[in-house]
Amino acid sequence: MWKSPKAILLAATLIAGAIGGAEAQDIEAGEKVFAKCKACHMVGENAKNRVGPVLNGIVGRAAATIEGFKYSPAMSKAGADGLVWDETSLAGYLHDPKAYLKGNKMAFAGLKKDEDVVNVIAYLASFGADGKPAVPGKQSAAPAPDATQTATAEPAAPSPETTGSVADGERGLGRAATPEEIAAWDTDVRPDGVGLPEGSGTVAHGMEIYDERCATCHGDFGEAVGRWPVLAGGQGTLQAERPEKTIGSYWPYLSTVFDYVHRAMPFGDARSLGNDDVYALTAYLLYLNDIVDDEEFELSKDNFTSIRLPNEENFFDDDREQEPFYADRSEPCMTDCRPGAAAITMHAAVLDVTPEDGGEENASGGGID
Amino acid sequence: MTSNARPGASRRAVLKGGLMGAAALAGGAAASRAAASESVITEIQDWNRYPGDGVDARPYGTPSPFEAHVVRKNVPWLTSDTISSINFTPLHELDGIITPSGLCFERHHSGVAEIDPASHRLMIHGLVEKPLVFTMADLKRFPRENRVYFLECAANTGMEWRGAQLNGCQFTHGMLHCLMYTGVRLKHLLDEAGVKAEGKWLLAEGADASGMSRSIPLDKAMDDCLVAFGMNGEALRPEQGYPIRLVVPGWEGNMWVKWLRRLEIGDQPWQHREETSKYTDLMANGKARRFTFEMDVKSVITNPSPQAPILHGRGPLVLSGLAWSGKGRISRVDVTTDGGRNWTTARLDGPSLPKALHRFYHEFDWDGSELFLQSRAIDEHGFVQPTKDQLRSVRGANSIYHNNGIQTWHVNSDGVIENVEIS
Ligand code: HEC
Ligand code: HEC
Repeated sequence: MWKSPKAILLAATLIAGAIGGAEAQDIEAGEKVFAKCKACHMVGENAKNRVGPVLNGIVGRAAATIEGFKYSPAMSKAGADGLVWDETSLAGYLHDPKAYLKGNKMAFAGLKKDEDVVNVIAYLASFGADGKPAVPGKQSAAPAPDATQTATAEPAAPSPETTGSVADGERGLGRAATPEEIAAWDTDVRPDGVGLPEGSGTVAHGMEIYDERCATCHGDFGEAVGRWPVLAGGQGTLQAERPEKTIGSYWPYLSTVFDYVHRAMPFGDARSLGNDDVYALTAYLLYLNDIVDDEEFELSKDNFTSIRLPNEENFFDDDREQEPFYADRSEPCMTDCRPGAAAITMHAAVLDVTPEDGGEENASGGGID
Repeated sequence: MTSNARPGASRRAVLKGGLMGAAALAGGAAASRAAASESVITEIQDWNRYPGDGVDARPYGTPSPFEAHVVRKNVPWLTSDTISSINFTPLHELDGIITPSGLCFERHHSGVAEIDPASHRLMIHGLVEKPLVFTMADLKRFPRENRVYFLECAANTGMEWRGAQLNGCQFTHGMLHCLMYTGVRLKHLLDEAGVKAEGKWLLAEGADASGMSRSIPLDKAMDDCLVAFGMNGEALRPEQGYPIRLVVPGWEGNMWVKWLRRLEIGDQPWQHREETSKYTDLMANGKARRFTFEMDVKSVITNPSPQAPILHGRGPLVLSGLAWSGKGRISRVDVTTDGGRNWTTARLDGPSLPKALHRFYHEFDWDGSELFLQSRAIDEHGFVQPTKDQLRSVRGANSIYHNNGIQTWHVNSDGVIENVEIS
């Protein structure tokens, strides 16, 4: 394993110090540190392999990729397994080469001071793959060739080096945004109520606006006309064969209704509704979804966050990497992987899908989003 | 037009004609070496005799009229209106890894905004030291970068959750493109405004009539995101967000906000419509995954495929396809012709760039027998493209998004190809 908590800590320091925009003095300080490496490594345009490999373009380069240098099996394997020398991995390695990668043959005790590590990396980052000055933060020129790649693909040709470097920090471009300009564009609303404008509106008033400006597409009761979106109903269908995802059955937060109707509806005439109208429409959509049942109910900035949608608890964060087929990162089967000959279990449901053929009115598949 | 051929003739007619031709030739590959003289050689052709158009006939060049069938296509019954709809990249007609600008699929929520760059502004505000407004001229004074990235809609292949649906990789996999972007680092713009320590999320908003908005973790924004004004060496096309769009490498296409006008820094996500009602992945148990930003390792065979049947009969065949991963480079692609019983490693060709499309080829002699073609991609981190059944066993069939399952094409002995699911 080549990731240690120490390395991550160091990397954080490095990022705070913005390697991409390393100060000139960091690079200078790094050059002094590099004196400790010079016995074995060279950098610059005429660099050659010595006891250790050439370190031009090392930041962003895959480990063990300098041609003609005989790496230890440990280093070669790490490179083949995907070790790329970025700020994090270099920090870990240079801090304690032995501990970081067992069996590698760099006979060097390591740099004990964090700032030495930071500075020497800044210095190394100032050399491109050809030994000329590099542009900080650019896509690493040489891709990590993968030893598992048995295809004959050539790795990407190194992109031509740019000379000179890009300074970080402020450029004095742009001008101050005025409070009036920010207010004009910043209409977004969050679940905690941040962004809600002053105002209020009742279910009854919302119904009037809805019938006039929304029902043609979304239907009198939010059931939708044709293929326009359904806005109400569907409670209890999320595990069904055909789930119906609506504000009442699926949406986690009421603030989304306010925000979206305000920014994008009615379709074809967005941003034409006043704040009170949006409160009223939001109240009416709650009513259509049986979340409030009183036509006199008034939704306002003050009571907004007290209303919770029924499905709020049923969302969880991305955990795809734990799915069995991803968690198990083993080599896939190549021969005799399944018994018997393949047989068709299902044909394309919609054969002639091209516009010339018209297609079918009602496909069995899900929607596009 | 001096030619007597029929540009624009129905693609289907061409295909049908071609298929019959192929059937007639089947088995005659060796014999065809001794064919009769062809009039295209023995007779003088018009283009051989009379001059063609002069230099300025097409000030902005267009493809040959014989390529008129190579276009994006929409599936009209999918959505209620083309203003909020989708069309698909004709992957089966393309090669290499770069998608031609005019063939990149379109997904708009309120049509294509037409914006004069002189009237476009980008605002940064929220948890920053200095709220700022940039003009296009300001943006072009930041250091520029050129990067090749794929963009895939999270709903690409979404129709196939319930089994084989649409007959053609344009429709099953065509919400995909790969371009070289020119732009500036989002980090440089944010640094200019000075993000406060409490800042953890970024809201990106478009200037179109849908006001498209997405919450993006600040770490990603500071890492490799770009504000792009160029694609494939020229200005962005209006359909792709002219004058500027956000580039969020490896992450779902919806986050790459087009017609970008506003960036707000906050301490938590906004939970807007496109990250709650949409782009959340409903599981079989009724619960839903959210913030599934990254696009998984995936591949598809683009040729042969249902819209690109085998017309040449038996003998040498070039199989080709695309592979990609939101986590980085593709390290390997395997293909099978027997429906996953035995696999061969395909040949990757062309540049191998992180979070970009990779092109693969597999050349073999087709003996005219039935084939079940599949491809399986593996990325540099060892993630292997799963089968559709593996995905369904964990997620059910109502996820809509993030279907990266292995695709099967059935080839019959006439070279006709169909989208199928197999045992
Ligand atoms: C005594 C000789 C020696 C010294 C001193 C030394 N190195 Fe090394 N270095 C090596 C050798 C040998 C290897 C190859 C390791 C292997 O193959 O296992 C190596 C490998 C590396 C690599 C990985 C290169 C690659 O292409 O994968 C980096 C980075 C590196 N050294 C940086 C440094 C830095 C920075 C210093 C000074 C702070 C330093 N080394 C000091 C001998 C040395
Ligand atoms: C001309 C037809 C039309 C009208 C009128 C209309 N909408 Fe919509 N509505 C749409 C379309 C189309 C969408 C989806 C837009 C997209 O693709 O992003 C939508 C989406 C919505 C959604 C989100 C649905 C979901 O499940 O994500 C809500 C809420 C909504 N509309 C409310 C309203 C309200 C309130 C009004 C009246 C002020 C209104 N709409 C008027 C067409 C319409």
